[in-house]
Amino acid sequence: MLKKVEIQELLNEALMTGADFAEIFLEDTKSSFIRVTSGDVTSIDRGNVFGAGVRLIQGVDEVYGFTNHVSYDSILAVVKNLRASFSGALTKVSPLGDKKPFKDDVKKPMNSVSVEEKSKVLQALSNQIKNYDSRIVQALSQLLETEQYVLIANSEGVYQDDKRTYSRVMLAAIAQENGLMQQAYEGPGRFMGFEIFDEVDFKTYANEVAESAVKLLSAEDMTAQVMPVVLHNAFGGVIFHEACGHPLEATAVAKGLSPFVGKLGQKVGSDIVTAYDDGDVDGAWGRLSYDDEGKPTQKNLLIENGVLKGYLIDYRNARKMKMEPTGSGRRQSYKFSPTSRMNSTYIAPGKDKFEDIIKDTKYGLFAKKLGGGTVVPATGEFNFAVQEGYMIEDGKLTRPVRGAMLIGHGKDVLFKIDKVSDNLEFGQGMCGSLSGSIPVDVGQPTIRVSSMTVGGAGGKK
Amino acid sequence: MYQNWIDLGLKKGITDLEVFAVRNKSLKLSVYQNKLDQHVQSDVESITIRGIYDNKLSTVRFENLSDVHVDQLLDALKANAKALTVVEPAIIYEGSKSYPEVKDELFDFGSVPVIKKIDLLKDLEQKILANPFVTQVQSTMYQEIDTETTLVNSKGLHLSRHNTYAYAYAIGVFQKEEDIKTAYDIKLAKNFDEFDVVKMAETTITKGVSSLGGTSMTSGEYPVVFSNEMFADILEVFTSIFSGEAAYRNMTFLKDKVNQQIAGKDINLIDDPLHPDAHFKTGFDDEGVACSKRYVVENGVFKGFNHNLKTASIFKEEPTGNGFHGGISTTNFYLEPQEKDFDTLILDIKDGVYITDLVGLHAGVKTVSGEFSLQASGFKIKNGKIDHPIKMIVVSGNFFDAINHVKGIGSDLKFGLSGVGSPSVYIESLMIGGEA
Repeated sequence: MLKKVEIQELLNEALMTGADFAEIFLEDTKSSFIRVTSGDVTSIDRGNVFGAGVRLIQGVDEVYGFTNHVSYDSILAVVKNLRASFSGALTKVSPLGDKKPFKDDVKKPMNSVSVEEKSKVLQALSNQIKNYDSRIVQALSQLLETEQYVLIANSEGVYQDDKRTYSRVMLAAIAQENGLMQQAYEGPGRFMGFEIFDEVDFKTYANEVAESAVKLLSAEDMTAQVMPVVLHNAFGGVIFHEACGHPLEATAVAKGLSPFVGKLGQKVGSDIVTAYDDGDVDGAWGRLSYDDEGKPTQKNLLIENGVLKGYLIDYRNARKMKMEPTGSGRRQSYKFSPTSRMNSTYIAPGKDKFEDIIKDTKYGLFAKKLGGGTVVPATGEFNFAVQEGYMIEDGKLTRPVRGAMLIGHGKDVLFKIDKVSDNLEFGQGMCGSLSGSIPVDVGQPTIRVSSMTVGGAGGKK
Repeated sequence: MYQNWIDLGLKKGITDLEVFAVRNKSLKLSVYQNKLDQHVQSDVESITIRGIYDNKLSTVRFENLSDVHVDQLLDALKANAKALTVVEPAIIYEGSKSYPEVKDELFDFGSVPVIKKIDLLKDLEQKILANPFVTQVQSTMYQEIDTETTLVNSKGLHLSRHNTYAYAYAIGVFQKEEDIKTAYDIKLAKNFDEFDVVKMAETTITKGVSSLGGTSMTSGEYPVVFSNEMFADILEVFTSIFSGEAAYRNMTFLKDKVNQQIAGKDINLIDDPLHPDAHFKTGFDDEGVACSKRYVVENGVFKGFNHNLKTASIFKEEPTGNGFHGGISTTNFYLEPQEKDFDTLILDIKDGVYITDLVGLHAGVKTVSGEFSLQASGFKIKNGKIDHPIKMIVVSGNFFDAINHVKGIGSDLKFGLSGVGSPSVYIESLMIGGEA
């Protein structure tokens, strides 16, 4: 990597022709991917992402360039190429400050545990899934480990490095009976090293995955209808992530492409909804000490008792919106210019009890596990898939149903939340947007939405 | 450089090695409100080395090309290969007898001044904004990509390919009273002169305006026609079920179904690396195996899996030239078109749905079971004609069931950027979720 004086010199060069902000982002990321299928270690791959990204801004106009050739000369070439887009007077660069310590409490980093030892743990989980039921025809367990080291330097004096250590275990089961195949999966992840296996109860997850795949074999196809939906905790939070999180990002707000534009201080949901995006939840998959613009992450209040309190804002959009950045500038790698993104986004716990919410529902759908979802911020229309669902009839969970898809409008759904329980949990996912694919937590306690459109293939004559 | 890495690996006791190098140069531009909003340029060389050690194959991918780093990675490759517990065929390929000639022109997009590309976007934005229903153009995008791929291995194989293309689009936001819709149309070009701003603006506007004023509809069972683009999107998700890896791992229902009828008699699914209408053509896969045109499904009969070297060896079949990105994927995979134009295709539908947009394909499709349930919008079909727009519905069914109930296939084959193509397809009946 480059010396501090070289970086300073490159930033000086960057601001010679009118740009008023320059940033250099250096990255060295190592990853390892171990895959076990039906008890056998079938592949172990290593990966490396390495390069430099250079960003210049004049006012709100931005140019970005990146290369994997990390030397003073090759980055200078990128800088010269980029600065040719601007014309104007030289802006003075603030001298680079000192690095502040980042939180690094990883107990078992990637290289401290052998691939054999890691493989053994995964083999045991794969075998556990496989042996759960004779109808399980495939049992996958995978470990993805990533160590991302970044250094961010900018013309306002920021000189900050950060190390992000992620571990994620994917468990999947495929069950087969009478020609019918069904799959179920779980993918718990943490900002941790191999100690994730000490912190997370994977044996329980393995059983749940196997049980879920087998149960789906006898589930009925969901019948399309409009009905109350109880969304379970943890990954159920993907509803808030899609329907409200994305439209609260400055990328949508700054362009006026969000139903939440101009609504700060106004009612956007029912009184029982309070929501946060927190960049620094201890050990969380979505956490960072410093964001990808070198700003410390923080806990951002988004909605309080139904009233809109804040957006998620990056450096450039802060200039556009004339507001402060919120430590939310993120990117997948040096191949992306940073922009406003979520970290750990969640609906805060309420006062209701899970059991009471089910008891209180005469007829509806209990979405126990959700798959992924999508939102179009400009229209606010969102959808998400139910991986494991049950009908609620007369306050009791009855038949398992499969293939349910939930759709709705972001601005309506918050008002339709009529129950929030006290059992907040997080679920982990990869979130894709303008600046690439990044690890995020979604989270919520069990909630009830009074009415949603539910699709499904059931009810065919 | 590549040969040095191979030599270093061999010296370390790795039996065979292959270097797969991709150099990607790109320029990306975006215009917003008549100003340049984004300008990204890049030049990245990424390397994949596969090596056989202890009769097992392992892979390292990297972008730090320093010798010290490569040395460390080759050691890691050895350790990783050693830790594999399963012995599967591990093959570095000596090469096919011959390779098809790829007739694909190269164009130096870099020779066109940047200002012309920015003007293209500004012009496109203005032309779309001129429509009274357009409240704004959410974003515009132009990207040009130049990719050079080189494959060198210790068996003496040395292959390379070079590909250039660019694409552009603008996302318009259309509004009529309270109803907001977005629409765009991606134009891919092999030569800068292919960009026709007038036509691009027209297509985007037609898409946006025609979908305005959409309503939901009554839930129930309806005949459904998918537009060519949407059926290609669905097909793309299901390409994985035709992979030899999925068969070997018990992850496709097609296992043990080779030479059996799996779809209606008029269904032909073809993988053609050199199809003249496809956007990308290739003469060899990432393992150096020659590519060729192949029927995957012919007259509804499943003809066999797509293989890379490993799965071909496991199934004792010839490799099909589908080894890409360390796994198996299709090249240009498409549903063979038939004669009917669109108007004729929908002529006998009394009360049906024409779907022109699907959202959430990454979450709403289960490839293992064939089930899909997707947010959709489009149009009602009434008495054989396109009627009013519909939105916020869910279309659900089973893919394996649907390809056995195809009532009509159009003539309008179109390939998407993903390499998957389809004409419009009329399915006898699917479930639509909407209003009660």
